[in-house]
Amino acid sequence: MRALALIVISMCTALGPAVAAAQDAAELRKQIEQLQNQLESVTERLKRLEAQPPPAPTAPAGAPGSPGVAAPPPASTPPSAMDLARPRQPFGLYQQRGSGQLLFDMGIAGDFVGNVTQRNVERAGGGTFAGQENRFFPREVELSLFGQIDPYASAVVRFEAGEETRGAETTVHLAEAYLTLLTLPYGTQARLGQMRNRFGYSNEVHEHDLSWVDRPNVMRNFFGAEGLQEKGVELTLVPDLPFYIEALAGIFNGDNETAFGRGTLQHPLVTGRLRTFLELGDEHAIQLGMSVASGDTDDRNRSTILGWELRYKYRPDSWLHPLVTLTGEWLYSLRKADVGVDVDGDGAIDRVDKRQRDHSGAYAGLEVQPFRRWAGGFRYDWSQYPTNPGWEWAIEPYVTFWPSEFLRFRLAYKHTDRSPQTRDAVNLNGSSARNVDELFFQASFILGAHPAHPF
Amino acid sequence: MRHRAAALVGAAMVLGLLAAGADGAHKLRVVTTIPDFKALVEEIGGDQVDVESLARGSQNAHDVEIRPSLMLRLRRADLFIENGLELDAWSDTAVQGANNPKIVRGAVGRVDASRGIQVLDVPSTRVDRSMGDVHPLGNPHYSLDPGLAPIVTQNLVDGLSRVAPELRATFEKNRQAFLARVEEAMVRWTNALAPVKGAKVVVYHPDYVYFLARFGLIQVGMLEDRPGIPPSPQHLAQLVRQMKDERVRVVLVQPWNDLKLAQRIAEEAGAKVVVIPTMVGGIKGVDTYIGSIDYNVNALAQALR
Repeated sequence: MRALALIVISMCTALGPAVAAAQDAAELRKQIEQLQNQLESVTERLKRLEAQPPPAPTAPAGAPGSPGVAAPPPASTPPSAMDLARPRQPFGLYQQRGSGQLLFDMGIAGDFVGNVTQRNVERAGGGTFAGQENRFFPREVELSLFGQIDPYASAVVRFEAGEETRGAETTVHLAEAYLTLLTLPYGTQARLGQMRNRFGYSNEVHEHDLSWVDRPNVMRNFFGAEGLQEKGVELTLVPDLPFYIEALAGIFNGDNETAFGRGTLQHPLVTGRLRTFLELGDEHAIQLGMSVASGDTDDRNRSTILGWELRYKYRPDSWLHPLVTLTGEWLYSLRKADVGVDVDGDGAIDRVDKRQRDHSGAYAGLEVQPFRRWAGGFRYDWSQYPTNPGWEWAIEPYVTFWPSEFLRFRLAYKHTDRSPQTRDAVNLNGSSARNVDELFFQASFILGAHPAHPF
Repeated sequence: MRHRAAALVGAAMVLGLLAAGADGAHKLRVVTTIPDFKALVEEIGGDQVDVESLARGSQNAHDVEIRPSLMLRLRRADLFIENGLELDAWSDTAVQGANNPKIVRGAVGRVDASRGIQVLDVPSTRVDRSMGDVHPLGNPHYSLDPGLAPIVTQNLVDGLSRVAPELRATFEKNRQAFLARVEEAMVRWTNALAPVKGAKVVVYHPDYVYFLARFGLIQVGMLEDRPGIPPSPQHLAQLVRQMKDERVRVVLVQPWNDLKLAQRIAEEAGAKVVVIPTMVGGIKGVDTYIGSIDYNVNALAQALR
């Protein structure tokens, strides 16, 4: 028994170091594996660092193209309390975009217009900028804020300030404020809020972005000086087809006093638009569309306006701008009106009938831009008035100069000829505005961000 | 009877359109803003992807016209890859018109290819537009540097795998094979430009900083007065003097730059103009990423020799 115990003890004594050695080896293997993993990770990081470009060779001081630029960027250090307390630089917020501190974009667009015309036109208030004839004035200074609300929606808010009447205080108003739901199914998107309606081509375009100094006559005659801006909802559908087509339907209050004016969802303004696009090779492109807006006027009569649009651009390959742009719209208004009927011929109105009055108008504009900084063109207008008799035509040649992408000057001449029947429409203070000659000067600028414009 | 025939024709047309719309549905539809990413996705995705680029190689990617036809391509995209440093700042407007929730900002189908890049020309002082069309986020022309291909392709693989996780291994395998070819070509490119390392060049617009930095060349001047601002006569006269003083032999231009102006300045300074496209497809027939860098390196090496 004692012998057995001795054998067991001696075996344990002999095996102990072996077991310990085996444990050590396993431990070592584990450590080696860990080291191997670390080495692989470091090698991978090293490879990535090596893949980075070496620091850019520094151009001599004052070399163009590298104002205030350093490469690679210096390591950032947290700002001290004094840094934070110091007044911000004007571009402080913009600079911080990179680090994501400002979660939306903002920009300002300024648009100043000067116009010179005949005295009788000024007295009659019959110029393109009625009430602002022979003046230089801020037509529109616009502050735009835009960006993503969350992963599902984006928003745009625009405030506008401008001098609306001669010498009046500059007023600020909300021009647009809408959100767009971006993640709806089946190729749909919804826009809700106050917006410029997507009716035809030019209505959606802001004043400072137009190809001309003023809105086309037919748009001003049919929708008022500001165009069609409404509060409501627009839904668009872009079906998954081999060709592009966008269908739009909208419901709005109908606040526009020139065309509608009922202003209630009980009798809403309903809008629609179909837009398609054809590409003729890489250099030629045409957009075609038709629109409709139908609502009630403030005297409870139905008013429907139909519109057709065409836009063509020729942009030679590798050009930074189009060489030729052709734009045209035609509007047709079907408007019911209350008409007094003298049935028995006694001079007194016996009953009021509703009669439909149809009016139309159109414009066509051609622009040629042979150089990056210079463009020239003209617009021809012809338009009836939606409620008054008569018509007018106008021709407006212009030349545009861009010192840079963000600054633009434009000079234009406009001749307007109105038919004799327009006396009631434009003939105030005993003066006539039948023949109008105007010289326009426009200066526009952009500060900060400005969203790109579609075709 | 006539109505029934008309209805049948109409139904056939609708079915035809739907069938045409569904064409290629088995493949991942990828749309990129610039052709460089298209070329890279083709390498990684192989026959698993259908790729289209919104900009053409001969276009200035800053000034792409946002045609509805671009929106149509985006309408069908499963994945949309953009530069991310405001080279293609117009992409948001195009996406908004496409009504495709898969690729809106924040969706899994939106890929920023610049993630992880060490961006050059990041303004270190206050900038404003008196300095021209500066990029507050830094120079966006990183795709011209083949040394950044490992990072850019990693971003592309991550994006592709988000919408097709079952194909990650395939994408990664293709990426490794492509990177091996880039590594091999890098030796060729470095050797070709080694004899002219440190050479000074003038550019039309600061498109080439990554490319020049990679191969040890130095940009000493620019034809544009400031980025995006056409040059004044005084600036050009000063530039010609500088080019003569520093013995600059090459002016790098893009296909869409004012070649006549570049030619005149180069002649006055005793240099030559070299067209170096910054994107794949800028030269007809050069449709692959490696082929495009090959062309640029050879053209530059030849001009500097």
